[in-house]
Amino acid sequence: MIRFDHVTKRYPGSAVPAVNALDLEVPDGQTMVLVGPSGCGKTTSLRMINRMIDLTEGKIFVNDQDIQQADPAKLRRGIGYVIQHAGLFPHRTIEDNIGTVPVLIGWGKQKARRRAGELMELVGLDANMARRYPHQLSGGQQQRVGVARALAADPPVLLMDEPFSAVDPIVRAILQDELLRIQAELRKTVVFVTHDVEEAIKVGDRVAVFRPGGTLAQVDPPARLLAEPVDDYVADFLGFDRGIRRLSFFPASTLELDTDPLAPDRITVADARARAKESGQSWFLVIDTERLPRGWLPVAKLDDLPASSTLAEAPVEGGGHSFHSSTDSLRAALDATILSPSGQAAGVDDDGRVVGVTSYDELLAAIHVLTSGDGDTAGGESRSA
Amino acid sequence: MDWGWISANRGELISLAGNNLYLALIPVVLGLVISIPLGVLSVRWGWVYPPVLSATSVIYAIPSLALFIFLIPFTGIVTSTRDLTLIIPLTLYTLATLVPNVVDGLRSVPEPVRQSATAMGFGAMRRLARVELPIAVPVVMAGLRVATVASISLVSVGELIGNGGLGFLFTDGEQRDFPTEIYAGIGLIVILALAADALLVLLGWLLTPWRRSDPGASHSTREEAAA
Repeated sequence: MIRFDHVTKRYPGSAVPAVNALDLEVPDGQTMVLVGPSGCGKTTSLRMINRMIDLTEGKIFVNDQDIQQADPAKLRRGIGYVIQHAGLFPHRTIEDNIGTVPVLIGWGKQKARRRAGELMELVGLDANMARRYPHQLSGGQQQRVGVARALAADPPVLLMDEPFSAVDPIVRAILQDELLRIQAELRKTVVFVTHDVEEAIKVGDRVAVFRPGGTLAQVDPPARLLAEPVDDYVADFLGFDRGIRRLSFFPASTLELDTDPLAPDRITVADARARAKESGQSWFLVIDTERLPRGWLPVAKLDDLPASSTLAEAPVEGGGHSFHSSTDSLRAALDATILSPSGQAAGVDDDGRVVGVTSYDELLAAIHVLTSGDGDTAGGESRSA
Repeated sequence: MDWGWISANRGELISLAGNNLYLALIPVVLGLVISIPLGVLSVRWGWVYPPVLSATSVIYAIPSLALFIFLIPFTGIVTSTRDLTLIIPLTLYTLATLVPNVVDGLRSVPEPVRQSATAMGFGAMRRLARVELPIAVPVVMAGLRVATVASISLVSVGELIGNGGLGFLFTDGEQRDFPTEIYAGIGLIVILALAADALLVLLGWLLTPWRRSDPGASHSTREEAAA
């Protein structure tokens, strides 16, 4: 556990403290994201934990140890640290970069290299990169090495200072997903600094929103933060579409999927017309014998087709947008619905087979039920965006 | 050119070249040993650097002969310490090249690298020895090459006080009106300088394996090839 007890940091020559009487607790095994505009003290707060910056007043405890009583170098060897540009040692191979702290604490080179190999696998780096040098890797790969290096001596605490902000958005999203996967496995106590609200909401178990002047505006799980910002500052900081983003925390599995619009491609146009008349569909989702979606077919088009032909021959429109019926969120379901030509979206299983279809009406009803309930029900459990 | 003379005096020429090399390299080594702490201090406390830089430049501007003559009362020209009369000034001259190179080399260490080294628990000395100096090697090596070549050629000026390595061939050749000796001296100094420079290039190459980029590397750096 990391605990800030009334911590203040004043820089000499500056009248306003960078961090002002900060009280904050990071429970074991959780990811706390510090977020806020630049100059709000979030990075200073992070760096006080491993004494890269010394605090002016107050106390910080890491696992019940007062860090002011610890030898800085020893303290730091027990705290993993990842920074924006990875900060890899350009003169050392990837495996020796990763093995830095193990060697510092006396593991010996062989054991450190074995450990480096394990970590490269954990962070998704190919084993043949072990002997390469940092400049031979892409930015995203370097950042993976940075994470591996921070984890090498298995520290209980991990500090991450805007670790993914220097890589492009696609790689950033991949690295965020990898962090969530690794964190689910290792359950480290993580403090993560970012200026990107989206990132904070994605990776944090809790998010601490800083105000300019180094004070806290709100500390809450992401879903609650989006549902109940304490004031206009936090609401503004979260951005205009926080309502939509909040849907990321509600699972799509609560939707009741409709199977009526599903039409196997082997039935004839005549059969389809009959079914449409009976159930009042205006669109069919044509599926093949494997239940894979082929595309949407407007019922109106059936009149132009020969009655004896099968739906397999009918022209269909974009069946591509679907959501996973058990692991995706309402946000993904809503997105798929918006993108679908029929205003309905297919929920699919692991193999991409169609389970059923949802529509605007069904989604709105589900959203209404969930969001008018309490924000607590959607904790940190489902965070698939 | 009297090749017969060169071949007949092979032993003498080699011995003079050896002496020249000795008188030139000891100052470079001493200069490096002095420049590293001066450079480290200059980087750590920025205000140290301007006076250090001025001092080394001023020393560099003093003619070598003047410094030799100044030192003769202390170290002599026929005494056992006579080599020092040459070595001390040459050492001071190397500082003008080496100190700025050590400073630039240490400053070439990227800030994130320095910070991550600290954050991983390197103490100041260990960080210097294991991270900062190794990364500074290419820049320091460039200064070392200049200082070495300059030192090898400067040694010959020492002949004016009777201890100048290959410089002997110039004064002797001039007195005897025997140009071959002078050409031999020039040739040998150039050969020594080129050989020393080549060795330093090789040493730099050996010390910086990370700078040898393999041809396959550019392909493997494709964004997230392993992702």
